Amino acid sequence: MLNILTVTVKELLLLKRDKAGLLVLFIMPALLVMVITLVQENVMELTGQKKTKMLLLDLDTGSLGSLLHKQLELGHIEIIVWDGQRKSSDLQAAITRGDYQAGLIIPAGSYEQFQRAAVLFPNQQTVDDEILAAQVPVQLYFDPGIMPGLRSGLTAQVQVSLQTIGMGAKIENLGKELSGRFAALEVLTQFSTPPLTELTARLKEPLLSLESQPDDSGKTGNRSYSPVQQNVPAWALFGMFFTAIPIAGGILQERKSGIWIRLTSLPVSHLTFFSGKVLAYICVCFCQFLLIGLIGSYMFPYLALPAFTLSQNIGAVLLVILFSSLAACGLGIFLGMACNTYEQASTLGSTLVVAAAAIGGVMVPVYAMPHIMQRLSVVSPLNWGLTAFQDLLVRGLSFPAIWADLGKLALFFLLTILLSWKLTRARL
Amino acid sequence: MVEKVVVKTDYPSTGVKEQGTALLATSLLMQYRNAESPALNDFSLQVQKGEFFGLLGANGAGKTTAISIFSGFFPPVSGTISIMGMDFQRHQNKIKQIFGLVPQDLALYENLSARENLLFFGKLYGLGGHKLEGAVEKCLAFSRLTDLAGRLVSTYSGGMKRRLNLAAGLLHNPQVLFLDEPTVGIDAQSRNLIHEQLIELHRMGTTILYTSHYMEEAQELCSRIGIIDGGKIIEQGEPAELLRKSGHKNLESLFLHLTGKQLRDA
Repeated sequence: MLNILTVTVKELLLLKRDKAGLLVLFIMPALLVMVITLVQENVMELTGQKKTKMLLLDLDTGSLGSLLHKQLELGHIEIIVWDGQRKSSDLQAAITRGDYQAGLIIPAGSYEQFQRAAVLFPNQQTVDDEILAAQVPVQLYFDPGIMPGLRSGLTAQVQVSLQTIGMGAKIENLGKELSGRFAALEVLTQFSTPPLTELTARLKEPLLSLESQPDDSGKTGNRSYSPVQQNVPAWALFGMFFTAIPIAGGILQERKSGIWIRLTSLPVSHLTFFSGKVLAYICVCFCQFLLIGLIGSYMFPYLALPAFTLSQNIGAVLLVILFSSLAACGLGIFLGMACNTYEQASTLGSTLVVAAAAIGGVMVPVYAMPHIMQRLSVVSPLNWGLTAFQDLLVRGLSFPAIWADLGKLALFFLLTILLSWKLTRARL
Repeated sequence: MVEKVVVKTDYPSTGVKEQGTALLATSLLMQYRNAESPALNDFSLQVQKGEFFGLLGANGAGKTTAISIFSGFFPPVSGTISIMGMDFQRHQNKIKQIFGLVPQDLALYENLSARENLLFFGKLYGLGGHKLEGAVEKCLAFSRLTDLAGRLVSTYSGGMKRRLNLAAGLLHNPQVLFLDEPTVGIDAQSRNLIHEQLIELHRMGTTILYTSHYMEEAQELCSRIGIIDGGKIIEQGEPAELLRKSGHKNLESLFLHLTGKQLRDA
């Protein structure tokens, strides 16, 4: 054990003096987690997971604009109202420039036309068929660069709002008409018909309701999905697996100089050297997670991002860090033994880590990938680590949920060490 | 004949030189993958305790392969090795405690200081506490690097690195020392210092097996030499005796006579 600690101290000392290595191991993942999280926060807005800004130009003098405004704000749309001083062309120009993702124009006279269209029992003397048939032409504009999914989502929301307003007006008219007609029939006055306001309200009441899953975030101490809860563990894992490159570099430096032959001549096994390296880089991985976690918790709120919150099950989180670190170290030792030059190891290592991160769900969540990539993601060690982190940090699960992923990470470590050991023997 | 010498220095010593075999290699065969001919072919060598044995050969003759096998870097395809009477395969860990190795390539961490390097290797030799500190200080003094012990090795000159490389192999006071071209690529002053150090070690009773290209150096230092060519010892004996028998004026002339002038690594 003393020999392992000796190797560990030596490794940490060498790492401390390797400024470029420290930059790769700590600054790179810290920068990535901030940049990617900020970018994804914006993507969530675009995909409708956050409020989208819509411009509303009300050229009418009636209350249709305010009714539509209220209805749309019930959904996830933030309305910016332009008064009638502006023109339709101003709105169109703002949308085309990409200042806003969508814009609505309520033409002049819309409310009057809307009121006429809502009449259910027209008086032949006052309302002609032409007016009755005409619909109110609310105009909707989109930024050409907007994603199709968001475009159809916004269109649907505006249509539902317009239908709700239209239906409300028709129901109100129907209530008025029915109350008037019932009052004229003496027989029916025997029945107690509800007052007009009550009848209208009851007609507007929905018959079906939608219940969404209750948010247990307060109870479990976890946050629901956010780019922060996704990205902090994801990019911490990415940084951890990047330790494979300095580990491989260190081994290659030893192999290519006389150090390896001297180490072989010492009364200490290669397993001791590998163990010392693994122990050193496990410490590094814990420091990486701590650094990125602290950035998520304390710096993100200053960047208008939600703060990262750790699971109440700290022990389980530490286990995931430990097993992920082991897998990363295993990969590094394998690269160090399998490659012949540092250039080979760094190129192959970074390609492997980036590819494993991409298919593992670090950059894009696995569920958003094509089916074939989703199937491929199960072979990525970063996916195993990330799934375990998400089980703990997002879904609020505990130990039983992560055993399988920890087992896969441990197997990966053992396999890489076994292969490295075979290569060590083969190279002697 | 190995003379008995009483140690006169304060460097930790093995005491009076002993009679007996320090290294015995019998019929070693070593074949590298994809190599046309074996690196060692029926290679046999006996080095007596307290002897300063020089293994001389051209590039690719098999010197480094022999040293690598003796120090356990890789096993031979066939043949046996015993050091201080112990079979290498069976007593590897015990044997590794009693020999020291100075590889041809520098075996030092460039981003550690001289002291940190020595402390690291010393600890792995099982030294600790005052014994380790004492060994490190002695090795620093031995390599004339005490004043610069805190500086990173990367800032050292080639000669300083070579001296430190030698000192790192002496930390555990080995009975047998394998030196693979310890003076290659350094200036005359550093080479002279290393010579003095090696003579001192030999005087103290350390058995030394040393490889070199430099014939004059071997003639000056070695009590016995072996000439290796094609992975086999083709001649061995005391330098003076070999020259007398062959009629050559110096070892280089004898070496070229025995091995020919054709390049070996072409």
